Amino acid sequence: MSGGGVSRPTVALGLAAVALSVVTLVGLPTPLQTVAATAVLVLLPGQALARLTQVTDLALGALLVLALGLAALTAVSTAMFYLAVWSWQACVVTMGVITVLACMARARQEAAC
Amino acid sequence: MTSTLDATSRTKGRWKPRDVWCALAGVVSLALAAGAASTVTVPVNSDLGLVGVLPYPFWAGVLLLNVAFVVALRGDAAGPARRPVMIWLVVVLVLVLFGTAAFVTDVPRGEVAFRHLGIADALSRTQGIDPDIDAYFNWPGFFALLATALRATGLDPVAVALWAPVVDMGLWLAALGVLTRYLTRDPRRRWLVLWIFCLGSWQDQDYLSPQAFGFFLHLVVIALVVGPLAARPPEFRGFRRADLAAWWRGRSPAEPRPGHRVSALAVTLLLVTVICASHQLTPFMLLIAITALTLSGRVWPSRLPLITAVVLALWLVYPASAYLVGHPPLADAGLEAATEANVVDRLSGNAGHVLVVQVRVVLTLVLWALAAAGAVRDWRRGRLDIRVVLLAVTPLLLFPAQSYGGEMLIRVSLFALPFIAMQACSVLLPTDGNTRPSFRAAGGLALTCFLLAVLTVTGRYGNARYDVFTDSEIAAVAAVQRLAPPGSAIISAAHPTPWQSEDYLEHKYRTIDDLCRSDLSTATCGPLVYGYARHNPAGAVVLLTRASQASLVLKGASSTRGFAELEAWLSAQDGVELVFSNVDARAYRVTP
Repeated sequence: MSGGGVSRPTVALGLAAVALSVVTLVGLPTPLQTVAATAVLVLLPGQALARLTQVTDLALGALLVLALGLAALTAVSTAMFYLAVWSWQACVVTMGVITVLACMARARQEAAC
Repeated sequence: MTSTLDATSRTKGRWKPRDVWCALAGVVSLALAAGAASTVTVPVNSDLGLVGVLPYPFWAGVLLLNVAFVVALRGDAAGPARRPVMIWLVVVLVLVLFGTAAFVTDVPRGEVAFRHLGIADALSRTQGIDPDIDAYFNWPGFFALLATALRATGLDPVAVALWAPVVDMGLWLAALGVLTRYLTRDPRRRWLVLWIFCLGSWQDQDYLSPQAFGFFLHLVVIALVVGPLAARPPEFRGFRRADLAAWWRGRSPAEPRPGHRVSALAVTLLLVTVICASHQLTPFMLLIAITALTLSGRVWPSRLPLITAVVLALWLVYPASAYLVGHPPLADAGLEAATEANVVDRLSGNAGHVLVVQVRVVLTLVLWALAAAGAVRDWRRGRLDIRVVLLAVTPLLLFPAQSYGGEMLIRVSLFALPFIAMQACSVLLPTDGNTRPSFRAAGGLALTCFLLAVLTVTGRYGNARYDVFTDSEIAAVAAVQRLAPPGSAIISAAHPTPWQSEDYLEHKYRTIDDLCRSDLSTATCGPLVYGYARHNPAGAVVLLTRASQASLVLKGASSTRGFAELEAWLSAQDGVELVFSNVDARAYRVTP
């Protein structure tokens, strides 16, 4: 646990989301851009949301990371298209914000324990 | 969340020589299969598809892989081989069965993946959704995801489409692997379910598509419903009203922590919404499955079917209303119409094509027969799991509701397959759970798996003559998209054409097959196609490729001679000129 009862993985997840969002928006060579974008769009939000469910089964947790990450990105992208405000950069920012918000919610859970 | 059923799988201890040999056999199998597939030349000139041209080392690799899996599955008295070995063998099977085409060519197989790339491209260009364009823009979820992913990652869209079957099958197996942990405590059965699921996947629905994505989410929802959201019903006493009411009230949640059930329910609702936004058919399959499980007393949130139905209805009434106005969902309902479209129409064509279709039917029937035998065996021993039976049978309820373009039976067999595989394992493994199969039983299992693999490769790649494209055909499509002015029509002979990946909204895309319906004779079809092209204000380009011609000939809609006559007639008309030609395609411009 870090200060205030918030665990290090939660802090690391939130910071990674912010850093990778910025890096993805700035742009990287193709293989690195692929890795960074996949992490910030699917894996980090999926992990942050899956941690909110407090799943204890490792296999189900890993599955939820993928399912929640993909589902959240689908929901965000579709909503942006319907609102005619879509751009991939806006999706990156939104998914980064979702990850940070999920980490904050998780931090509150941890602080309450 | 609720714990999965405990298994006796060995996860600790030293590696045994058998484990190492099985892993090495997987390496050799992959090398044999991939090496052999890479020697196949395109175009595939066999009416049986890839199975007619794959060299024998491919089959040696498949045989070795199945033997290695059965040896690993048999393991020893403590259980099957170590988990990394089993995972590795499943990975190799996925690469061998679902990556075969990618080892043969670097062009994605089938037309539809190209079209789906085009829809994602159109979305990202217009940055909005016009539901009046076509059905895809009424269920745009998957395409929105694809557009974002392709733009943000910088991945090559063609490479994504090429390897999508392997990735999709990996996602399905991950979900199915978790799902089976809630349904059986026998580790051998869990691994065999994954293996049989792969061996039964001839349906070819794992390409870059909304249905593949929807099926993954469907399996995750089912895993949540039989896991954290499950209920334990009391003993069933009868159908009298009082007994039923007592039975219903006596259910208890499998997951004792309310907070965890609520979070699982929230995840389920998100996934249901995304499924409804992404694909027409999958939410109906999901609704039926959840309803059946709830009525059997196995789901704790008893209003989940109602909530799912409301989400589905809201999507149909609002975002998808533009499509549904002209296409009522039950317009072509009925068992007779469904049978006609799904079975009779598909059993036509030349001898090779009919044999391939028959192989698909036989493979499905064999798996269903094994599952039925397994169900009877379980029932006699008092071990029949009603959840597995319901999940296997309920997709059939949708068969008479819609012909779904003649593909409903394919979709039904896919949605049932995980649970058919699970029930089939009851007859493929020893009666007593966790019992090691004998040498004889293991030999029979290896042989069965190998035969299923042969049938699956035959069924899955049976259309390779026309759904594996050559570089010349790709070049021809690129040239046509360059030559066709905006607003013009692009007319291909038939649907297996690798087009629409760019400029999806710039042209009208038609096929001679669709314009002429059942009569492709020169006298009837020629004037129809020529008239359509001439009357289009921006003109048209007629594209005739090897693949589209092979499709018409293989399915019995035309002959090589009839096709040549039609082309000769068209090329002799006023305002028609040859503008592109290579070894596998010709393109004619028709001026208005």
